[in-house]
Amino acid sequence: MLRQFTYLSCLLLSLGAFSQSTITGTVRDEAEEVIIGANVYIKGSYDGASSNLDGNYSFTTSKVGKQVLVISFIGYRQQEVEVDIEGDLSYDFVLVEAINKIDGITITAGAFDSGGERKRTILKPLDIVTTAGATADIASALNTLPGTQTVGESGRLFVRGGEGRETKTFIDGLEVMSFYGPAAPNTPTRSRFLPFMFSGTSFSTGGYSAEYGQALSSALILTTKEKPDQDRADISIMSVGGDVSYSKVWERSSLSGKLQYTNISPYFKIISQDLDWVEAPSAIEGSFMARQKVGKNGMYKLFVNLNSSNLVLNRGDIDDPSLITRTGVANDYIHINNSYKNILGKRWGVQGGISATRNNDNLSLNSDAIQTVQEGVHAKVVFTNDATEKLTLKFGSESFLRKAEEEIEGFGLPSRTNITWNEQVLGSFVEADYWFSNKLVVRAGGRLEYSSLPSSYNLAPRISLGYKTTDNSQLSLAYGRFQQTPGDQLLRINQNLGSEKAEHFIASYQVINNGRTFRIEGYAKQYEDLVKFDPGNQFDPAAYNNNGDGHARGFDVFWRDSQTFRNVDYWISYSFLDTERNYRDYPFAATPTFTSKHNFSWVYKHFITKIKSQIGFTYSFASPRPYNDLNGVGFNTGRTRNYQDLSFNISYLFKSNIIFYSSVSNVLGRDNIFGYEYGQVRNNDGQFNRRAITQPAPRFLFLGIFITLTKGNQASQLPYL
Amino acid sequence: MKTLVFVFVMTASLAFGSEYEEAMKAGIKDLYAARSLNEYQQVASKFERIASVESAQWLPRYYAGYAYVIMSSLDSVAENKDKYLDLSKQQIDKAAEIEPNNSELLALEGFNHMIRVSIDPGSRGQEYSGLSMQALNKAVAIDSENPRALYLLARMSYGTAQFFGGSTEESCQMLEKSLQLFETKQPASEIAPAWGKNQALGMKNICQ
Repeated sequence: MLRQFTYLSCLLLSLGAFSQSTITGTVRDEAEEVIIGANVYIKGSYDGASSNLDGNYSFTTSKVGKQVLVISFIGYRQQEVEVDIEGDLSYDFVLVEAINKIDGITITAGAFDSGGERKRTILKPLDIVTTAGATADIASALNTLPGTQTVGESGRLFVRGGEGRETKTFIDGLEVMSFYGPAAPNTPTRSRFLPFMFSGTSFSTGGYSAEYGQALSSALILTTKEKPDQDRADISIMSVGGDVSYSKVWERSSLSGKLQYTNISPYFKIISQDLDWVEAPSAIEGSFMARQKVGKNGMYKLFVNLNSSNLVLNRGDIDDPSLITRTGVANDYIHINNSYKNILGKRWGVQGGISATRNNDNLSLNSDAIQTVQEGVHAKVVFTNDATEKLTLKFGSESFLRKAEEEIEGFGLPSRTNITWNEQVLGSFVEADYWFSNKLVVRAGGRLEYSSLPSSYNLAPRISLGYKTTDNSQLSLAYGRFQQTPGDQLLRINQNLGSEKAEHFIASYQVINNGRTFRIEGYAKQYEDLVKFDPGNQFDPAAYNNNGDGHARGFDVFWRDSQTFRNVDYWISYSFLDTERNYRDYPFAATPTFTSKHNFSWVYKHFITKIKSQIGFTYSFASPRPYNDLNGVGFNTGRTRNYQDLSFNISYLFKSNIIFYSSVSNVLGRDNIFGYEYGQVRNNDGQFNRRAITQPAPRFLFLGIFITLTKGNQASQLPYL
Repeated sequence: MKTLVFVFVMTASLAFGSEYEEAMKAGIKDLYAARSLNEYQQVASKFERIASVESAQWLPRYYAGYAYVIMSSLDSVAENKDKYLDLSKQQIDKAAEIEPNNSELLALEGFNHMIRVSIDPGSRGQEYSGLSMQALNKAVAIDSENPRALYLLARMSYGTAQFFGGSTEESCQMLEKSLQLFETKQPASEIAPAWGKNQALGMKNICQ
């Protein structure tokens, strides 16, 4: 009996194996369009099929009874339905689009992002290195983007009518104090950090996230590379010095170090300078980076930068050129940046860190001297939470402690004088990104800040949205309030000044299509509580108040095309700016001296395969800038001549690991004038003598050889061009 | 009767054991016969279905990853190219979790990065050609007789040498070695990776 039963059940089993059902159906999306390539299958089996060109699927299965039918397709929500298979079955699916937080609509108002090169970015890190006239300086390269102002005697980023100090820089989320190196008076500075370090650059010209505070105009957000690609040593020999660097990569960690020495005196000996240098600028710099993976997704980074520099030059008095002031600028700088990020569970992410900066400036004017030491510690933690498919929350807190100490010797003072001030800023922010669909995203949030100078609280709401008008184009709007502690030259007199404030309104339209980008952005910016003082009593704290205000409005246009001409990439920026301020020592509202109404730049890069070289040029134009003509009528009514510069560069790939690089700024040798300095007293004609603020030399020539050594010399330097 | 039951159970278990292999064989046959994007999608989906059941097998994900790389090179829309490479990379990563340090998987990863470079060499060269070389070198280091890894490495290094005007001799020797191995070395099993010979032969023309 038992045998027979076994036999029978085996027979049934084998019969069962041959009873096949056919499952068929159609796959469509919500708009009734057919979907091709969706994977339909019975859970836990191989049985299934993909939808064909008509959206139909069909497969046979030997499964019977209650089964789960699964459909999955990229970009759509996976669906599971329970079915009862008792024979052939037909089931039609309607797929619902999944929200794509990463590659879908993003908020672009005010921002020039360059994350990984796979996103729809406008400027890639590599572009910074290869921009003619920028000589690998981040700020100079960003100065070819719309919204920036050419301020040739400064070298800093001046954004949409804001001063240079209104742009703050963050590395891995942490603020960098003294982002720019020291420079002689009225000569351009350079940013301290090389673009090679960074994998991502986000340059916001306004309306940025509530995560960032203490910047009235602009945030430059830099992200260091996750890890070097391989073990490598680099040697650079340049007309201004040289450097060596080395990177060692392990499975889960890496170490990189770099030592650089620069000294411009040999160059100044060959090429005559307009300035009377006693000691040409020289600097020694060391940097170090360590990275360690933590767990599966975590990453810890430690970055240290040390720099010591020196320069001395003689400057003649405006009224009496034989009266020489020996001006010395010495600087010691250290920046330490610890950052950590990790993913906590499925929905949470954490990012945080501590940075410390010490900047020591020694300025000497003959026997008079001012030493300024600034120390700052920034600690921050940010959590992100993918609360739902459509909602992402971000919130965090930070603390910024800063101490500034000034020691003044001479200047007719009876004894050494010390001024010290401390500042503490505590900030907390919360921000929510909500995707209404793959077409519309809204970001709303706010930032609460406590500032100890003087003790006060500020609330800064921020809101922005992005709306996809077509697959390649989008509209963005942004609004936000921003505040910033007044600058040190004001705080050194009066430490009871309140924060200065700005309000941004931005509307932008952008099309990115197949290697071409077009963007137009209009903005209005309102300044409030700007510090004003009576120039007659500038050392009296009581002469200072927060009664100033101002506005800036205009529009920026950007066009980039890397598609139309083979091996050619070019971009064109135009900015229109209308601005006035009544602040500092201004008697009434006037256009500030660092602004120009029209700024234009054209960056062109052409790779010529035949000669294995990339050539590039940058043409910049800025309309006349105001200056306060002491011999004229009114305030800030003088106008300089317009600014023009044509810079050229060429990189030649000698071998896969050796590059020759050369660049010349101001090829045409135009004598650009940025403004005028005036003497103290009227001359015999009843006029004040004046001296033009110009370029330190008509041109700057740079030559360099860059050598990379790796195992088997496989490193392709190509993208470093 | 006992014997009959025993034989039946044996056959059934054998049949059951080879259901995976049979499905793989059918999939591989379809894969090598595929020409259009739609055909490749069908077969990639099939391997994904097998992979969803056979969580301990790396080969279904390997083949799905391979199909997506081919789809990326077939599609003419730049954004789709990236999408397929992403899908491929997902499959490769999941397979590598099952089977770490596998020469075939590393070779496929190198292939994936190589195609990524070709979409936009100017801006991706630095990152992805480095990653590609890294993966391919590792693939060869693990199995110096993996003809696919050798062929892909030859192709990458040939391109680099040619661009910089260096010698392509070494690359061509490597290709020669891979061609020999395609002739002499039998795949580890019926379902082990066996593609690449035609592509390698295609490259032979440039080397001559």
